[in-house]
Amino acid sequence: MTTTRFTGITLQPSHTIGRAEFSGPGFRNPVAMVRGEDDTMYVVSRSYDYRPDGKRITICTLDEEYIGEFARGVTTAGEGDPSDADGSLIWPTAIALDSEGNVFVADEWLNRISIYTGDGAFTGKWGAQGSGDGEISSPSGLAFDQDDNLLLVDCDNHRVQKFTRDGQYISQFGSKGDGDGEFNMPWGITVDRNGDIFIADWRNDRIQKFDRNGNFLMKFGTSGSGDGELDRPTGVAVDKDGNIYVTDWGNDRLQVFSAEGEYITQTTGDGSLSKWGKEKLDANSEMWQERDIAQGLERERLFWGPIAVTVDDDDNVFVVESARSRVQIYRRQVPVFFGGRL
Amino acid sequence: MANNDIALMAHLMRRAGFGASYEELERRAAAGYEATVEDLLNPANRPSLEMDVLERRFVDWREMNALEVNQAYWTYAMINTERPLEEKIALFWHGIFCTGNSKCEHGRQIKLQIDMFRQHGLGSFRDLLLGLSSDPSMIFYLDNCMSHKDAINENWGRELLELFSMGVGMDGEANYSEDDVKECARAFTGWTITNAIPRYPYGRYEAGFIYNPDDHDEDNKTFLGETGNFNGDDIIDIIARQPSTARFISRHIYNFFVADDVQVPAWQNTPPRDEEAIKMLEDEYFRSGYNIGSMLRVLFNSDAFKNARFAKVKSPAEAVIGTMRVVKDYTSPKPGLHNLASNIRYMGQDLMNPPTVEGWHTGGEWIDSGTLVERINFAADQVGNLELPGVQDMVARVGSDGPSTAEQVVDRCLELLGAYELADETRAQLIDHVGRGGDLIPGTPEFSQRVGQTLQLIVSTQEYQFA
Repeated sequence: MTTTRFTGITLQPSHTIGRAEFSGPGFRNPVAMVRGEDDTMYVVSRSYDYRPDGKRITICTLDEEYIGEFARGVTTAGEGDPSDADGSLIWPTAIALDSEGNVFVADEWLNRISIYTGDGAFTGKWGAQGSGDGEISSPSGLAFDQDDNLLLVDCDNHRVQKFTRDGQYISQFGSKGDGDGEFNMPWGITVDRNGDIFIADWRNDRIQKFDRNGNFLMKFGTSGSGDGELDRPTGVAVDKDGNIYVTDWGNDRLQVFSAEGEYITQTTGDGSLSKWGKEKLDANSEMWQERDIAQGLERERLFWGPIAVTVDDDDNVFVVESARSRVQIYRRQVPVFFGGRL
Repeated sequence: MANNDIALMAHLMRRAGFGASYEELERRAAAGYEATVEDLLNPANRPSLEMDVLERRFVDWREMNALEVNQAYWTYAMINTERPLEEKIALFWHGIFCTGNSKCEHGRQIKLQIDMFRQHGLGSFRDLLLGLSSDPSMIFYLDNCMSHKDAINENWGRELLELFSMGVGMDGEANYSEDDVKECARAFTGWTITNAIPRYPYGRYEAGFIYNPDDHDEDNKTFLGETGNFNGDDIIDIIARQPSTARFISRHIYNFFVADDVQVPAWQNTPPRDEEAIKMLEDEYFRSGYNIGSMLRVLFNSDAFKNARFAKVKSPAEAVIGTMRVVKDYTSPKPGLHNLASNIRYMGQDLMNPPTVEGWHTGGEWIDSGTLVERINFAADQVGNLELPGVQDMVARVGSDGPSTAEQVVDRCLELLGAYELADETRAQLIDHVGRGGDLIPGTPEFSQRVGQTLQLIVSTQEYQFA
């Protein structure tokens, strides 16, 4: 039997998770997420300067069951200086889980990695501001490699650094610039099944790929809004077949590229009413009435500030929208045709 | 460089912007006064804020829906813009074309109006009025969406004439009649908005302007003596060519950029503070085809403007931003911006949320015992913070003069803060106080502290409240 594989991916809208809340079921200006064990996921909410109580990590399931939240922002809304107490958040940016399910969260104001158990109990922290080996300046992306070491996108130092889980410096690659292997305020990061590293080279409007030792392999993307062009890419993810997903932040879309970096497809969003959203409306009937007379409701489908993307082993593609307090979920469908004759 | 050049440049930058550091004053004075006026009048020649970086750090700015987020953004923009007149003219129009979050409850919708002021605020007044008439937040704020051909709501029609263009009257005469208000409202029937998407579950989406011809009154109207089947844009054409409009806008420009005049409701019966300057502005209004930038060019280059130093009480926005631009804090993103922005509200100017459609009363009415304390405490906290780069710059400049008497230090600090002037008695008191510690010797442990305290004394004076 011959197998013919067509290049092409269909992103089938699955469902939407979230609603805008400062606590409880919902998110507030989410910036990152990671899949957990079974059907759990962790979502990082950045919230506003004046509502630090909305900064948190929410644990929920893919079916939008609320489990809990942790790592609160300071609760002195409108008063005083932000607190840097252990476990608190000021400008959280990224989240990653180690092989044991511990949660690592980066804070780009505190230049700190906070560590929690999978249930949200604070267990440790590390990080020191600076530009020397092992020092960090605005950490913006986190990913564990296959050795359980933490790759950290060191945004304002325009490099990637590798640490042990307890923060011991191992190595680094990259410097400021726009040449191969150079960065301009890099943001998102992912590690594929081969251990290769992908970086959203944010202000260079491109994605770069490196081997596990930080050697440059390839790049794709140029500035613009056409197919395959990028405007400040924030997040990058790679599925089990090597396809690359990029949140094209400035263009408010998700683009998909082949393993070779060739443009395949894009979507501008298919947001639907989430379970939590529906619960809110059901509890407040006047909100349904407002929606009934709203004009241009189709705008609600579109991405607004797609800031992070994750793809799991079941081909679920998660797009986090910072300006819509939700996560849109797609199912990847690959048109594969088996057989010799019809 | 002559000190009077610096003093004049400081005056221009306070009025056409929000003040400037001494280094910027030196740089601009070297470029020349008229060249600086042109630079200010052509904001597009200067880079805009790097919004990609700002939205990355202030993640909520991508959405910018809440009032407080917008206030933080505007505060940051006023501090850091390289286009100070673009922000100043937006503030000017916001003070006249008031739209309040207390009713709209959607900061982003009002921000879009402020953006329109940024874009068109130095252009044709006619175009600006047209933009305002089709601005969704204004249509909602003044109920034009509730005005129908069979049942008009006069709110927009009335305020368009009374507060936004002509004013109630001038030279003791009324500028329009009650019938003109009704006819104006009839002409704007059908100028409405789409229903916005409500807040829940994901956050608001803005409403849009829409013209509904089915709800427009197509009968003839008689407005200011002219008769026809007028629509809203016809009304604006008629308004724009009225002498009363030229007078009203000229007085507003004078009151905002030159010197405090009486409050607007008194303008019908109270002549302008400087009739010659108003005449100059009126003439330029018509000569330029209602161009606001042209009016400001004539104004900034006039003696009436140049001789009006410290003839205005700073607005709260000017008080806060002016100090921040000198001390150079929040020149890059960092937490706490909301708290900083809140100081403007504490001083009596809740940006994007004025008390009424009439806006804020200006001049001496900004000041009461509570707001004065807010102003002094805020400014003294800032200039007394020796960790701020702008304060360190001033301390270093005073230090570069070598050992100095109290008199020399007071005068130097006055200059560095923006060529301020004190009444003789106040100046003598400050010199006496600073002099109790003897001469100031750079390099001594107390030098920086004493310079900082001198700066604090100056910003606590009555004189510092004037622009």
